[in-house]
Amino acid sequence: MLNKKLAIIDLSKEKVKIEETPDSLRKKLLGGRGLNIYYLNKYLKSGAEPLSPDNVLIFGAGLLTGTLTPSSSRYNVSAKSPETGFLGDANCGGFFGPELRYAGFDRLIILGKAKKPSYLYLCDGKIEIRDAGPYWSKDTYEVQQSLRNDLGPCESAVCGVAGEKLVRFACVRTGVKNAAGRCGLGAVMGSKNLKAVVAQGTGGIKIKHPDQMQKLAEEIKKYLFSSKISPLLGKLGTPLLYEVSNAIGAIRTKNSQLNAWSDSLNAEEIEKYVEKMISCSSCMMHCRHRNIFGGEGPEYTAVGMFGANIGLENPAQVIQLNNLANELGLDISSSGTILAWVFELYERGIINKEKTGGLELKFGDFELAQKLLRMISRREGFGDMLAESTQAVKIFGESSRDYLIAVKNLPQSDPHDVRYIKAFALGIATASRGADHLRSRPTLEIFSKLPPEVKERIYGTKITDPTILDEKEKAVYFSEHIFAAVDSLGICKFICHGFNSPHFLDYSYFKKLIKAATGWEFSEKDLEETGRRVIDLERIFNAREGLTKEDDTLPKRYFDDPMPLKISKGHHVDRVQFASALARYYQLRDWTEEGMLKAERIKELESIK
Amino acid sequence: MKYLYVYPELCTGCRECSLACSLTKFGECNPKKAAISVVRDEFERFEYPIICLHCSDALCQKFCPQNAYYPENGILKWDKNKCIKCRFCATVCPYAAITIMDNEIIKCDLCNGDPKCVKVCSTQAIRYEEETHELTDQRNTLAKKVLGK
Repeated sequence: MLNKKLAIIDLSKEKVKIEETPDSLRKKLLGGRGLNIYYLNKYLKSGAEPLSPDNVLIFGAGLLTGTLTPSSSRYNVSAKSPETGFLGDANCGGFFGPELRYAGFDRLIILGKAKKPSYLYLCDGKIEIRDAGPYWSKDTYEVQQSLRNDLGPCESAVCGVAGEKLVRFACVRTGVKNAAGRCGLGAVMGSKNLKAVVAQGTGGIKIKHPDQMQKLAEEIKKYLFSSKISPLLGKLGTPLLYEVSNAIGAIRTKNSQLNAWSDSLNAEEIEKYVEKMISCSSCMMHCRHRNIFGGEGPEYTAVGMFGANIGLENPAQVIQLNNLANELGLDISSSGTILAWVFELYERGIINKEKTGGLELKFGDFELAQKLLRMISRREGFGDMLAESTQAVKIFGESSRDYLIAVKNLPQSDPHDVRYIKAFALGIATASRGADHLRSRPTLEIFSKLPPEVKERIYGTKITDPTILDEKEKAVYFSEHIFAAVDSLGICKFICHGFNSPHFLDYSYFKKLIKAATGWEFSEKDLEETGRRVIDLERIFNAREGLTKEDDTLPKRYFDDPMPLKISKGHHVDRVQFASALARYYQLRDWTEEGMLKAERIKELESIK
Repeated sequence: MKYLYVYPELCTGCRECSLACSLTKFGECNPKKAAISVVRDEFERFEYPIICLHCSDALCQKFCPQNAYYPENGILKWDKNKCIKCRFCATVCPYAAITIMDNEIIKCDLCNGDPKCVKVCSTQAIRYEEETHELTDQRNTLAKKVLGK
């Protein structure tokens, strides 16, 4: 199990150092997101420019990644984000994470900048820095296929031309649609002249108690498929969430000017374009769509961002935009948010044809969206401005900020308009990487029929009304911890307790899986504490990079503009109530009133070795 | 007699079958060191599980110079003590169902009647079935298709 190494690769000096990860560290932070933030704090100099050689890029597999543990395909990519200036961290499925481990490594810490386009080749315990000349200027599909043609079966994490061109929301892509999507980590690859990390391995992951792990996998399969939602997730995937949100009027529509959109994007409509549902490594849920237009997806995020948010109703067009963004290596959450933002700015006259280079911007224009995505990926014309993501406020003027749906400079990921379900609002305000639902989305808030006692057992609050902020800090606190733990284990949130269901794998399952894999004894409390440790370490990182209490906030529109449609009509987030919820959240976290860690806690975390 | 049957159209490419196999046989998780292999490529858009069919007139058995292969109650078994690791069996198998890794010959032995791969497949893309049941199912499917039922 623990026979995989840590590699520190200095691209400037062309040196590779291979080390062990101390068990003491693994016991405190497991792996994946947890160990990544530990090493990021250790290696990154405060104030480093994200697109300079000073940034540190880390690829890290979870403690259970690549094992028989169901849905254990995940790894994290971390760096300082060029999109936000704060923590950049993204979790990714597919087959690269497991292959990284089969090639002999748990974690790569990449420093400096290569003199010329390069890629890392990892094979059975060895690492080579190789010339990527032949792969440069290729988009994400072509480069991966070329690598397979040249090297044989391998798994790669790559950036597209968008990454080379330093588009601030270029993603790290593996396979057809899996991405370490958020925070512009593909641009960090590009800035380091690093086109790809290629893994090709034959080494297995040793398991301490093989029989126990086999039995657990069988038990988990039975448990997952005893739930009604599992077959649905495997049939429809995440797009099933679209209808749930749209029904209550909580779908971000036309840059959140509206909050409900067409039924033509419901999961049953999307399903008509699906050829087959497929899986990531080790996954029993198979929620990935292989679509008939040659790509994979769409996820719920793509349905929302390339559908409702930019005013498109036709599912075929939404899927084609999804495929294009995937191939170009652009983060769909940021792409759809930024497009909708500039469409509204144009409608309002805040930007005009002088800025857009003669383009007429409007919602609901498929060809325009296609063209803009291409232009962004090449930084051509107006695309060069959009490639700056939220930092384009500097170009469009301060008034443009009022219409920007972002937190901590990160465009919102979730197509869910959080003005109705208040726990979601608090969640995106506090999330360590900015406006993102995958750090804390307390999904159970959306289930209106959930018995209060179930909610109390999980979130520790009896309050059933989703539209008020009272006690919602508890739901966010619970969710942030379990998601941080699951990200550190390398397991997908799809089977994590509280993400899609009030059931599924909780700390009691995690501790059994860890014991089977490593022999280590953890209690449920230890695992929750690991989650808390990760959140605190991420806060230390962000504070060091200049984050303050003022950054734990929401887009102006969510405070000031009431929602216009359906049962959400009239709802918005009250500033005073929000400030009070945030204060309660800090208190629950045992942070100061300014939202910072207390000195003793910092000392305690600094002693982790 | 029960055998393993694979249904590529139902395979989602997760490799849990291979991982369960390597875990059972070698105590490690390694999809390449398994008696069941899932060939997949997301760009070429296919998933295809490959498993030993326990042929009654098996080429591995026929060509093994050491006579390491022998049938026992319908299962084509392999005797580790006779094997000289020449890998000829893997070369002649028409289904490429024999794996060689770390100087090990890896061939399905149906886990002594309790195959572990089947237990972790979530889509029934691998099934452990009586020959007759398998054929009956296939015939029923075919009849329904022809009759438009």
